[in-house]
Amino acid sequence: MMDRSYKELLKMRRFPHTWCPGCGIGSVLKNVAMVMKELGWSDKDTVAVSGIGCSGRMSGYMNLDAVHTPHGRALTAAETIKTVRPDLNVVVLSGDGDLGSIGGNHLLHTYRRNPDITVFCNDNEIYGLTGGQAGPTTPQGTKTITSPRGEPYLPLRFGRILTQQAPYFYARTTVYHLNHFKTCIREALSWKGFSFVDVISDCIELNGRRLGFKTAHQMFKWFDERFHVVEGVRDHLQEDELGIAKREVEEVSKPKEEVKVEVAVAAEQLKPFTLDELQTFDGTEGKPIYTAYKGKVYDLSKSPLFQGEKRMRCHIAGKDLTQDIDVAPHGEDLIFKFPLVGRLV
Amino acid sequence: MKQLISGNDAIFEGAFRAGATYFAGYPISPTSEILQRAALRSEEDPKFHFLQAEDEIAAAIATISASLAGAKAFTATSGPGFSLMQEALGWGHVVEAPCVFVNSMRVGPSTGMPTQPAQSDLLQIKAGSAGDYYPIAFYPHSVEECFRLTVTAFNAAEESLSPVILLADAFLSHLYELVDLEKIKTEIVARSKGPLGKGQRLFTGTAHDKIGNVKTSDPVIYREWLAELKDRHFRVAEKYPLFDYLPCKDSNILLIAFGITSRIISALKERFSIFRPIRIYPVLEKELKEVTQSYPRIIVIEGSDGQYASWVEWAIGRKVMKVPCLGGGFKLKWIQSQIEDRLRGEGR
Repeated sequence: MMDRSYKELLKMRRFPHTWCPGCGIGSVLKNVAMVMKELGWSDKDTVAVSGIGCSGRMSGYMNLDAVHTPHGRALTAAETIKTVRPDLNVVVLSGDGDLGSIGGNHLLHTYRRNPDITVFCNDNEIYGLTGGQAGPTTPQGTKTITSPRGEPYLPLRFGRILTQQAPYFYARTTVYHLNHFKTCIREALSWKGFSFVDVISDCIELNGRRLGFKTAHQMFKWFDERFHVVEGVRDHLQEDELGIAKREVEEVSKPKEEVKVEVAVAAEQLKPFTLDELQTFDGTEGKPIYTAYKGKVYDLSKSPLFQGEKRMRCHIAGKDLTQDIDVAPHGEDLIFKFPLVGRLV
Repeated sequence: MKQLISGNDAIFEGAFRAGATYFAGYPISPTSEILQRAALRSEEDPKFHFLQAEDEIAAAIATISASLAGAKAFTATSGPGFSLMQEALGWGHVVEAPCVFVNSMRVGPSTGMPTQPAQSDLLQIKAGSAGDYYPIAFYPHSVEECFRLTVTAFNAAEESLSPVILLADAFLSHLYELVDLEKIKTEIVARSKGPLGKGQRLFTGTAHDKIGNVKTSDPVIYREWLAELKDRHFRVAEKYPLFDYLPCKDSNILLIAFGITSRIISALKERFSIFRPIRIYPVLEKELKEVTQSYPRIIVIEGSDGQYASWVEWAIGRKVMKVPCLGGGFKLKWIQSQIEDRLRGEGR
């Protein structure tokens, strides 16, 4: 027999719930509760946070201490609760309009600060509660009541934004691919750090019917056509892929180029310059900017401070700068950054 | 030991004395020093948490969430930031989160004059967020009082289960005075609300019944809830009927001023009676009525275009004269000449 103990985590006394028949939110709520129960989470150690919208009502049906924030502020609230009470598991249950549009700034910065919270985004590509207006994730060309000729702009792609800066955990799944959905929930809840589960969900009443679907099941079939599950750990997901993209640390950037090139070159091989010759390379008439330092000549043409002018604030092109550098507030390392082109004779 | 500290420092130390363990803020003149002190304190003390948020909206939401999570929390900002915090202020009243919002006023609207003092956010504390709510607000006028009233604000917050506003101005924030904080005795009200993880409560900004069920179309439940909130706030406010009254025997003219203006016009106490409200909201209705009845002429001197004066008129039921010190111009000589003009019947 099926294990129904997850119902302890739901406020069954408040059922039937407020959502329309066929809505995907119920599936999100139920599956999150099931996995939480599996992991042994209870009302003593777990807090649910929601924003506003149909999906924002989810926290109110959880049998936990729940916080129902103003529109878009769920992430900030969740992050703060985790800061003050690190012993609590904090879960955000919200939607695409709440997290991506009005809470977009908080999404970027909470992701950047990487608190140990898990976000479930009921991504139904529409503002359902207010009557079916275009949302941030509404695909381009979709007709809604606020885009009667088709949504003119490209949608916000959580999958691209949230996989740019490690550490990150981004999972895309749908309410139709149930096994995959549960795997994503399980992995996200176990991830240490900010994890985001983008649950592609349906809004049959205020989006699906306008798109020509007759039942929620037809929309699920449509999800099956649009997306396919990919296995294994990935860095990024394509737009038609369901899976998990995660990375713990940023890729190590390329090793810095050797700064002290001058050591390698023998002094005799360098082109000799006299002080008079050097003076002609002052950056005028398209000539390069050369300056001398401790008997060597450097090409400062790329220096942003000269900018093609003969003189910057303190130094003059075409001169021996040995004494200047000694009294300058910066060290000689600044001049070693530039290519060595000759020696002073 | 006496220390030379600023109003901002005193506010931070007052919050710390009251037991604050969370601060969230966003840099803004003239309260950035509070944010900086919080950052330093969080390094020294692992129990003190601090967030430099991405904007004041997040700072205010974080303050209220920290309060729900169980910390005594506060935030500090100025007029433009306070405008962004209004949403959270309304939410804080509905979810009953005790915390303190410090608003050090500068000249507005919008960016205005960021370094110049003003007293023009009074209506914003009462009417900035949607709907009816009854915030408690205090306004000190010296560095020592900044310290004391911050503690009072935290206490009032715990008692009224709501965000309490501590007003200041750009002048007071950066006013340095010698204060001995250790010698100041304060009473501290402990946390009254259970932290998160204690049950199955719902903290929602939506209208709800007593056990936290969302009720969005029941006027009876809403009226009961609002009456209870109003009653609680006014009851707590009555515990703090803070004002200062300096009668002058030879004068039948009463000057009403608060915050930094009251400090400046205290030089006129030999010539005029002076009344200084410290609890700005709820308005000191009873006290104003009592004090003003023996004065035929009343002049309200404030850093806004008659915001407090309109409350005085509402409270005592007759017209008062106004001296608005606008654009950061708080010069005693100028105020004095304006008072003379009003008494001759010139100006407004």
